[in-house]
Amino acid sequence: MSSNSGLESTIDQVLERNSSEFSQSLKNSLTDAQKTLSDSLPMLEEEYEKIIADGKKEADKIEKQIIGSADLQSRNKTLLIVQESTDKVLEKAKEKISNMDRNSEYSSLIAKLLTEATSALNTSDVIVFTNSKDKDVVQSAVSSISGAELSNDTIDCMGGVKVTSKDGSMSFDNTIDARIELLKPLIRKDIAAQFNLGNN
Amino acid sequence: MSNQGGVQYSKIAEIKGPLVIVDGVDNAAFDELVEIETTEGERRLGKVLEVGNGKAVVQVFEGTTGLSVSGTNAKFVGKVMEMPVSEQVLGRVFDGLGRAKDGLPEPVADSFLDINGAPMNPEQREYPKDFIQTGVSVIDGMLTLVRGQKLPIFSGSGMSHNILAAQIARQAAIIGTDDSFAVVFAAIGVQYSEAEYFKRSLEESGALKRSVLFLNLADDPAIERIITPRVALTVAEYLAYDLGMHVLVILTDMTNYAEALREISAAREEVPGRKGYPGYLYTDLSTIYERAGRLKGKKGSVTQVPILTMPSDDITHPIPDLTGYITEGQLVLGRDLFRQGVYPPINILMSLSRIMKDGIGEGSTRADHQEISNQNYDAYSRAQEVRALAGIVGKAGLTPVDLNYMNFGDEFEKKFLTQAIDENRTIEETLGLQWNCVSKLPKNELTKVKDKYVDQYYKE
Amino acid sequence: MVAQGKIVWISGPAVKADGMADAKMYETVSVGDSKLIGEVIRLTGDVAFIQVYESTSGLKPGEPVVGTGDPLSVFLGPGIIGQIYDGIQRPLKDLAAKSGSFIGRGITTTPVDMTKEYHFNPTVAVGDEVEAGNIIGTVPESSLIEHKILVPPDHQGGKITKIVSEGDYNLDTEIATVEKDGQTSTLMMWHKWPVRQPRPYLKRYDPTVPLLTGQRVIDTFFPLAKGGTGSIPGAFGTGKTVTLHQIAKWADSQVVVYIGCGERGNEMTEVLVEFPELKDPRTGKPLMDRTVLVANTSNMPVAAREASIYTGVTIAEYYRDMGYDVVLVADSTSRWAEALREMSGRLEEMPAEEGYPSYLASRLAEFYERAGRVQARGSPERDGSVSLVGAVSPSGGDFTEPVTTHTMRFIKTFWALDASLAYSRHYPSINWMNSYSGYLADIAKWWSENISKDWLDIRSQTYGILQREDTLKEIVKLLGPEALPDEEKLILEVARMIKIGILQQNSFDDVDTYCSPEKQFKLMKLQVDFYNKGQQALKDGASLADIRSMDVISLLLKARMDVKDDEMPKLDKIETDMIEQFNSVTGVKVQN
Repeated sequence: MSSNSGLESTIDQVLERNSSEFSQSLKNSLTDAQKTLSDSLPMLEEEYEKIIADGKKEADKIEKQIIGSADLQSRNKTLLIVQESTDKVLEKAKEKISNMDRNSEYSSLIAKLLTEATSALNTSDVIVFTNSKDKDVVQSAVSSISGAELSNDTIDCMGGVKVTSKDGSMSFDNTIDARIELLKPLIRKDIAAQFNLGNN
Repeated sequence: MSNQGGVQYSKIAEIKGPLVIVDGVDNAAFDELVEIETTEGERRLGKVLEVGNGKAVVQVFEGTTGLSVSGTNAKFVGKVMEMPVSEQVLGRVFDGLGRAKDGLPEPVADSFLDINGAPMNPEQREYPKDFIQTGVSVIDGMLTLVRGQKLPIFSGSGMSHNILAAQIARQAAIIGTDDSFAVVFAAIGVQYSEAEYFKRSLEESGALKRSVLFLNLADDPAIERIITPRVALTVAEYLAYDLGMHVLVILTDMTNYAEALREISAAREEVPGRKGYPGYLYTDLSTIYERAGRLKGKKGSVTQVPILTMPSDDITHPIPDLTGYITEGQLVLGRDLFRQGVYPPINILMSLSRIMKDGIGEGSTRADHQEISNQNYDAYSRAQEVRALAGIVGKAGLTPVDLNYMNFGDEFEKKFLTQAIDENRTIEETLGLQWNCVSKLPKNELTKVKDKYVDQYYKE
Repeated sequence: MVAQGKIVWISGPAVKADGMADAKMYETVSVGDSKLIGEVIRLTGDVAFIQVYESTSGLKPGEPVVGTGDPLSVFLGPGIIGQIYDGIQRPLKDLAAKSGSFIGRGITTTPVDMTKEYHFNPTVAVGDEVEAGNIIGTVPESSLIEHKILVPPDHQGGKITKIVSEGDYNLDTEIATVEKDGQTSTLMMWHKWPVRQPRPYLKRYDPTVPLLTGQRVIDTFFPLAKGGTGSIPGAFGTGKTVTLHQIAKWADSQVVVYIGCGERGNEMTEVLVEFPELKDPRTGKPLMDRTVLVANTSNMPVAAREASIYTGVTIAEYYRDMGYDVVLVADSTSRWAEALREMSGRLEEMPAEEGYPSYLASRLAEFYERAGRVQARGSPERDGSVSLVGAVSPSGGDFTEPVTTHTMRFIKTFWALDASLAYSRHYPSINWMNSYSGYLADIAKWWSENISKDWLDIRSQTYGILQREDTLKEIVKLLGPEALPDEEKLILEVARMIKIGILQQNSFDDVDTYCSPEKQFKLMKLQVDFYNKGQQALKDGASLADIRSMDVISLLLKARMDVKDDEMPKLDKIETDMIEQFNSVTGVKVQN
């Protein structure tokens, strides 16, 4: 055996040993890779599902939002109609009252409004204001209360009176406008009931 | 009030701060609603704080700016302030005094209720014991919210309290039932963006149609803030006790409320208590917070989550201090956790839910709930001590058990406490995470839980 | 002649009325058209200053004010036990019947059901001489309380000329007539007494008997005596209410008066739900059968809060006069003081510290002075006591604020609640370094006679360990625990064991919620033995690690929950185990 052949065989041996190591390590990495792959599959699936779920969540959210706002919108539309109707009713009432005959019934209403006002102020030493149309009716009511005077100035209202103490420190608004303002919520409630808006 | 009212007085003796003092008044009642008319015909609302000897002291909600002694009229309305209520208030936005603010007509009222309410008879209260799942682990697991409870968030300026409150409002549910919450949100002197965030959050979750919003924003009149929580709670009580709904009320920010109260007190020249707040601050706050609860024979409930920012993060400041004495616990946000980016940054050691024990356990959440929660408290408290010790002697000076506690602390903050703004965890998930945390500790450290639960849930 | 005036001024709960020259100080008056209940608290000329016990919303100047002629008084007779009253003794159940879930105004009720019949058993006969305070008969009031019918303290006494025979009578029945100097008076099963006037007694004893509460940190370390005074101040969240509830549940008194003064509504509801379910550990009967509740929650009218304390203490004195030991728990005296402050402010009085009136201290003193163990007036001879426990809610947890500092002057036991203990979930969070009891010396004799002659010695040793630990903690904070020698590390170890095994007590645990005095002593003795044996073992060459790893430690820590009061031999077993384990770490052979 030459030294060369000795060397060759050594080289061969080294090569052989290493190649087996190579193949072994190759095998190992293959299994590793496979394992990694198989391991990551469920994770991928999870990821995938998560993306789908997130999308669904988003869709749900939008759906909820749309349904929610649709409900509200229809309710709000009705509310606007109620408001419109209330305004119309009040407009009609106003018209009716303005054109009402200033008859004896009306005079007794004025008298009542006037007494209410003076008793609220706790004095009859007052100045009374009304619109130009009601001046005569009010004047006759005022003259029956000692201390009360009708002002020459008129105020803008549908009817009724506004009463001020002579020192100007107190006043009481008993115009028909003011009275209607107080009734407004009740009128609205009635109208709303016609539209099925309300709880009863 | 049987008083017919309606008399208008024009002799204004004095205007100081938010107060108008009217002279020559002989027909006004204590607490009566007053309409102030300015020279320009603008109308503002107010109420009688003191009356007698011909004078009435009127507090003007919308402020006295622009009022003058001559030409201002005060009309005494003849009733206390009332809020019109009906189911139609749902889905609506009101201003701080309860007037429509969304461009729509006023809702059609079913009845008009005194905004001050009346004290609940303690004998008629039903003890709160229904677990509310908020989907926020730290709350459900360790600071459980119960139906009818008042559980405030103590925060500091700039922290994530409103985000947390919005998350609670979106996610709150009673498990095992279809009952959902109506949400009443009262913004008290907060910025537009914060109120808008809340509104959008309700919109996106489809909850707006069962919500009512009251907005007194930062640039709205300060004195109006006295009224905002009261109108909100009046609506909440109506929804709860007349319509049988479960109502979650969020009041933010109660600090602004207390400041408005202080302003009035100062104008009345009252003897101040601590930090200039009136001596009756406790009593006054209680007339708001005690409006949470449940009643015998009524289906609905009012649950309150008031939010307040502690001036300089100081929990001994009169506002958080007096609040804590009235509410049934508190969720305290920690500046440190917030800086670390933890959400929700709840400092559990300073936080507490007083009536948690009655809302959890077998039949509502799970039998081990109280014990695992106690164990986490105990361990977190110990973890904080170990962290402090490590700061002195270094990690090397710690025993193996100490190191376990350090790990526990990290797991607790990163996996259990931290969660996403839109993450809604079930109670099972929450309890599981609590067991994950304590599983970082050796078994024999678990002294607060029964062995059978350790066997069942501990993760080796 | 009763006063009839008119309202001239209103500000919150404060009302001024003129035309009141005939009114008397502290007279009860009817205010306004809706007949609200009020009390005269100042008279200037013919102007009366009135505090109104109901909301004054809607009240107007010009409305009438009518006197009743009587000072604010409580009704004292059968039917009080088991009730829940508001601050002026109106039963909350009756208020609910009349105004529903929310409290209405101007409602009048009787404190008890006058038509209910009680079984009266006379103990005196015609011809007997009686005087104020005498017992003339008994009525079974609840499963726990035999109600003694007393001749009222302000009665002139005399000879019994008529008395009903044993039988069932309602409270409208005249049960006896008494004659003196030709004047005849009738006696009922009840009488009234003005709340602001302490009920008289014959003589006062020194407090020498402990009031046992079953709470270790209280009974063993900072005890209260029967007839004594204690205060429990604490910031919010320190467990004040739970501790007070524990005292109300387990104190060895026959009657408990619990006053919820300006506190949470749900807390009163909790008592109402829990107490009927809980059994008195000594009698096995429902706790509600010995309890009276006075509830004026924070959102109820503030003036009635002020009255509620007096209403409660007068009821307590009444049962004391029957010969019972009574505990009164007031939660919270700070809210009462705030009510005083509010009324004082409206009266425009000159304020003292933090706006409180200058008479805050004297009012507190008067209240706590109504505690005591006494011999009641009249025959048969009997002793009773009123022990007062007042919660204080210091603003910001600051114990230097006026209500806390003034209270400390008038009480002898001080349980200082500590927020940092509460934050680490150490309950009850009574700080053992800042608390104190002035009764220790007085009641040591009772423990030595009834439990063990070593009690005081063992207690001092236990407390000594805690004191040493407190000092050592400072060093540990600076240098870490390793800087200490083993014998000092053992002190830290045992102090930790004492905290967990004795000072902490779980009120929600069925066993731990109440601890008998025998068990309290034995648990403490075991810890002291452990400590002494541990120090000896270290001297004998054992290592601290060996001691730390002894199994008996966890037994010692859990004994408070594992060993029931009637299982004391289990504690002896732990003692034997402990001796064995020490012997094995020091290498000593066990000799059988």
